[in-house]
Amino acid sequence: MTEAPAAAALATAPPARPPGMWRQGWQRFRRNRTGMLGLTLVCIVVLVALSCAWIAPYEPNDQSAMMRFGSREGPTWAHLFGTDRMGYDVLTRVLYGAPTALAVGIGAMLVASVIGILIGGISGYLGGMADELLMRFTEFFLVIPVFIVILAVVRLFGIVVVGSPLESIPYLNLMTIILLLGLFGWPSIARMTRAEFLRLKEMEFVEAARCIGATRRDIILRHILPNALPSLVVIVALGIGGAILAEAMISFLGFGDPKAISWGQLLFFNYEALKVAPWASIAPGSAIFMTVLGFNLLADGLSDAFNPRLKQ
Amino acid sequence: MTEPGAARPLLDVRDLRVHFFTGAGIVRAVDGVDFAVQPQETLGLVGESGSGKTVTSLTLLRLSPRPARVVGGRIDFEGEDILTKSEKAMTGVRGKRMAMVFQNPAYSLNPIYSIGDQLGEIVRWHEKVGRREGDARVTELLRLVGITDPGARLRQFPHELSGGMKQRVCIARALLCNPALVLADEPTTNLDVTIQAQILDLLLELKDRFRTSMVLVTHDMGVVARMADRITVMYAGRICETADARTIFRSPQHPYTRALLESMPRVDHSYARDDARRLPVIAGRPPNLIEPPTGCRFHPRCPEAGEECRRIMPEPKAIGPGHTVSCLKRGSSGVAA
Repeated sequence: MTEAPAAAALATAPPARPPGMWRQGWQRFRRNRTGMLGLTLVCIVVLVALSCAWIAPYEPNDQSAMMRFGSREGPTWAHLFGTDRMGYDVLTRVLYGAPTALAVGIGAMLVASVIGILIGGISGYLGGMADELLMRFTEFFLVIPVFIVILAVVRLFGIVVVGSPLESIPYLNLMTIILLLGLFGWPSIARMTRAEFLRLKEMEFVEAARCIGATRRDIILRHILPNALPSLVVIVALGIGGAILAEAMISFLGFGDPKAISWGQLLFFNYEALKVAPWASIAPGSAIFMTVLGFNLLADGLSDAFNPRLKQ
Repeated sequence: MTEPGAARPLLDVRDLRVHFFTGAGIVRAVDGVDFAVQPQETLGLVGESGSGKTVTSLTLLRLSPRPARVVGGRIDFEGEDILTKSEKAMTGVRGKRMAMVFQNPAYSLNPIYSIGDQLGEIVRWHEKVGRREGDARVTELLRLVGITDPGARLRQFPHELSGGMKQRVCIARALLCNPALVLADEPTTNLDVTIQAQILDLLLELKDRFRTSMVLVTHDMGVVARMADRITVMYAGRICETADARTIFRSPQHPYTRALLESMPRVDHSYARDDARRLPVIAGRPPNLIEPPTGCRFHPRCPEAGEECRRIMPEPKAIGPGHTVSCLKRGSSGVAA
């Protein structure tokens, strides 16, 4: 994320180096405890996602525990979080759920950001009729019952691809979910982008840039968009958490990708054994909770850091 | 200043009309404006809020704000018509041949780029030079506008500078490419009075050093008195009177110019609340430009207005060397409108 280069610059820069917007934001962010807690949680998830292949004690699809001890075994030294009803090591499965969760969150928000910034930017910059049309279009997307549509599309698409060459694409189902979450997640980004563009395009420095001979491209990419980024970073961080939660719900209902290991799916597989093997549900549930909480706290912290005046 | 009429003017605006097409009707913000700026001359464009000064100056760069459209007239700048140039050609004029200094320095610098970045970019873009040459030019200009330690300021961000400093940076930005004309739109309105004087002196000094012309847009008669060679007084989108600065202050002809000068508080005068010693004000309100008054725009507030002022729109008439006035009572002819 954006904090990393800012932090590096901070460590090496002489103290006289004056702060830019990002560094200033980081300095305020660092003093924000809940924000730092969020950043820590997010960092843990990212580290786990990157290193799960090495730190996980078992293979993710290793069901041999079933033969050795039987399934649904409580936490032991061999299986720190126990095993679930299919003989998987719960810890391993939870660790392997992290990359999936991040892929969903970041992938969906990437799609949503591209669409949202494009539509919001055009809408806010051009104004007038284009603005009206694009905003009505955005509102149309806001009132669609997203969840039901996604469930229906995932199921239908899953049936349609059977037997077609598409079937051989790995994680096709997961990618469909990511794409759909992105396709329905952009309206809030578009609205924020539009609001920021509307505000910024009337600013004197944009007018000044025009007067100095900046082209339209320069105006948008160098003067308006960078100034809109702080607000967008906040809403995207919030959206990542939201997308992870949405994917968990989809998977919990059994519409997830059977080949991908996702926390929601672990809950789906294990909730029936909640009474006999609660650990198998508690671990992925806590993982979802921590990750989403992390992204929300991070977003909150970023919002306070970039808009200090909003904070009471 | 060159002899009037001898050289071809640097900027020649003829019958400029800029209208705003809004839902409520057509706002005639600029409605038939003529003025010219000679090389190395400072023209003061004076008028109250909403008289069309800012719209006029933005239109000179062909940047009139959105619902506005130029509906007539010509703007000749350096022998070429600004209004027919391609948008691409205009980006070569803006900032390079004609530059602008804004009213509010606090908002006219981009907060996320350092001073060096945003000024250097302009030089590199217009002069096609490298980063080192660009930075050298920026440092040079920052030094000229009186910023101490310009090399270190390059890395500072706008919010670290005071208002006066920011305005100096904005002036440096306007002069980076050695433009022929600087448009200064109320350059000192948002500054402390002490800083105002410094900035005005700076503008005068740099104008001489760079041999640029300047259009100084302001509502402040004190500022133009100090700065301008010639003064054009605008009211409700039209020009009332143009003359050299001395003439405007010594023998104003148009009733609006007179009223404007009389409503300036004077140091050597004591005012009180009673009618005799009250600061004179111009009665009435600025006109609604969607339905401007018929005839002379100023007639509803004019102490001298006669019956014909209601019907006939006065045309500019030369009443002395370089002195034109648009008033039926001063001998202007006019057209019924």
